Amino acid sequence: MGLQLIPVFFIGEERDMTRRIFSPDIEHKKARWGWVFIFPSLVFFSLFNFYPIFNALYTSLFRKKLLSLKPPEFIGFANYIYLFKSPDFWNSIRATVVFTIGTFIPMVVFSLIFAVFIISRKRFKKFFQMAYYSPAVLSSVVVAAIWLLMFDPRGLSNQFVNFILNTPGVDHKWLANSTMVQISTMLVYFWKYVGYFTIIFLVGLASIPQSIHEAAKMDGVNAWTGFWYITLPLLKPTTILVSIMSMLQCLKTFSTQYLFTQGGAPMGPINVITLNLYNTAIRDHRIGLASAMSIILFCIMLFFTWLQFKGSRSDKVSY
Amino acid sequence: MQKSGESVLYSRFHQQYEPRGGDVMKKFWIILICALFLPVAVHAAESKIELTYWTHEDPNRTEIENRYITEFEASNPGVTVKRVTNPSKKMAELILTAFAANQGPDMFNLQIEDEYAYIVNNRLAPVDYKAAGYPSDKAIYSAYLPKVLDPVTFKGKLYGLPLELTNWCVYLNDRVFKDAGLDPDKSFPKTWEEMVEISEKITIRDGEIIKRRGFDFRYPYYLVAMVPMAEQLGGKLISDDGKKAIINDKAWIQFLEFMKEWGPNGKNLGSPTYTNARALFNKDNNDIGMCLSGLYQAGRIRKDNPEFYNSGEWRVVPYPKFKNAVEDVASAYYGHYFVVNAQKPKKNQQMTWKFIGYMLGHSEEYLSKVGLIQPTVKLMESETFKSMPYSGVFKADMERGHVVYYGENSAKIQDHIREAVESVMLAGATPEDALKNLRRKVQEVLDEK
Repeated sequence: MGLQLIPVFFIGEERDMTRRIFSPDIEHKKARWGWVFIFPSLVFFSLFNFYPIFNALYTSLFRKKLLSLKPPEFIGFANYIYLFKSPDFWNSIRATVVFTIGTFIPMVVFSLIFAVFIISRKRFKKFFQMAYYSPAVLSSVVVAAIWLLMFDPRGLSNQFVNFILNTPGVDHKWLANSTMVQISTMLVYFWKYVGYFTIIFLVGLASIPQSIHEAAKMDGVNAWTGFWYITLPLLKPTTILVSIMSMLQCLKTFSTQYLFTQGGAPMGPINVITLNLYNTAIRDHRIGLASAMSIILFCIMLFFTWLQFKGSRSDKVSY
Repeated sequence: MQKSGESVLYSRFHQQYEPRGGDVMKKFWIILICALFLPVAVHAAESKIELTYWTHEDPNRTEIENRYITEFEASNPGVTVKRVTNPSKKMAELILTAFAANQGPDMFNLQIEDEYAYIVNNRLAPVDYKAAGYPSDKAIYSAYLPKVLDPVTFKGKLYGLPLELTNWCVYLNDRVFKDAGLDPDKSFPKTWEEMVEISEKITIRDGEIIKRRGFDFRYPYYLVAMVPMAEQLGGKLISDDGKKAIINDKAWIQFLEFMKEWGPNGKNLGSPTYTNARALFNKDNNDIGMCLSGLYQAGRIRKDNPEFYNSGEWRVVPYPKFKNAVEDVASAYYGHYFVVNAQKPKKNQQMTWKFIGYMLGHSEEYLSKVGLIQPTVKLMESETFKSMPYSGVFKADMERGHVVYYGENSAKIQDHIREAVESVMLAGATPEDALKNLRRKVQEVLDEK
């Protein structure tokens, strides 16, 4: 382990020396231009992200009906108190947590495995990248609609599983059983996004200098040990990034659950926060309560974003 | 005398740039003409009205309504009607979003359960009876069947006119019955218990997977199709004073028990996760024996599968009831009402009611070509209605039924019933637990008011 760290530090020092070549003036000038370039996107972000967040925060303090023309009534934190006492909201928290844990852990593990598999190929690298990534470009609604057809009792899923397991005629109740419907939503999400995170891992793997692997090889390190003691530690920032991104993505899940419930699946087991929020706003017209829900979801996501920043700072690696 | 350089320049400048008498006159005439025509142009622009009409998809109705629009535009110069169609499942959401942003269309139609909230929140304009072609408000009420305008009457004002009033009966495929060795003339289901027996005979399974269903419900529409089942057993969704949710537990538990037995964990006769029965029925693919639908279904069979329609191998039978029913209740009837956006200018509102009046003047064509019942006294007594296949069955069932439950939160209550039914059918909940949750949730909705 100690031997393997030597080239890592060496490369780090080499980079620091390169940085010293640039004078502070040029750096400042570059930074100024950087601000100029990001200014339009900052304005756009403020307008379309910050304003809705503050507006939702403000609305969450009112009893406001979507269709009502009457001025909304200020009720302070009553919407939040109502939510924390509501069994339906706690069920939504449960459904979201179950979905997030059940989806993001396999997603991180398998996207790393797929990325290592692709990068170790000598041929057909591009083909595998495209094959894994292609579901990510499909609209979530289209994906859910396709899987809805496959999960029909007479659909492909039952036929495929029954063929593999040699269990003809068994209905696996993909949408008609409270446990199975949760697994089905996880399966769809996993299928759609695993390719996307595979690509991120591929970029992370490609950025590890080949010289480190070569040096390790010369020291007699085999592929498995190299993966555990060199690749994985150096891939830590990417792993943290992928795990946090996939976790945030899972917390925001909506279209799969929405389309499945429209297709006849029971709502309770998959009534994630976003679906509950949507129904509260659109079906029940209670936009104040829905805003409070969105703020709670925002806080949960903010916490994990903070975790991401914290994690990425403490896990800096230099080659 | 020689001119100085400055004066030469001055005279050249004036030759070039000083307006001549003819130019001045030309400009004067142009300005005068513009001034004269400006009010005319402004008036013309003002008198142009574009009406937006949002409705759900129905190919048969689109055909006739597009013709009405052309005719209406021809007889009302300066008026254009933009008809926008959306899938019926999406309509409530789209209209709500548009109204929340104060960008609603001039007119739309929704099921009354979804539409009622717009009335109580003052988002709709009262019917302009003169523009709609009636001498008075009273004349409208007397033109329609009793009570059908009650759902759109609020604080003494009328807010909508019915595009359709629909109830559901059981459509039955004779070929499927015969294939299962049943005689459709004798063995059609009159009770829910018979529905189970017959469905078991018709159903074909590959292990647990159903290949052919005898009958299946229309799952998203619990207020229309399933609340009457509980009512037959003496149950009520809401007490008469509107304060208490779920009356008569015994009736509701029997109903939920029936649904549990119907589902995949019971007798496995159907489930909300299978393709909806009504959509399959028209195809006559030997995969569904019976479904619930309205009179309009006949028109859709005719359009989708003329061979099946003309074969005479289908029929309509009344909505069944339980053997131990204490009330003879058929499926509830629901209305789609044309309503007008109160946020649009008065002239738009007036023109929209005129347009609605024009369209509703063709109720016999709506019935014969689309299968929609616009419940006017005149139509219900017309030969067109009487000659429609199975119109008598629908009329008799309508007399046994009542209007669907409507209120500001009826869509939410419907979803709570759905959750209760799905929890017993699919999630393994006991009818007692499902009922307990249903009561709590519906009561909360009532208390919210």
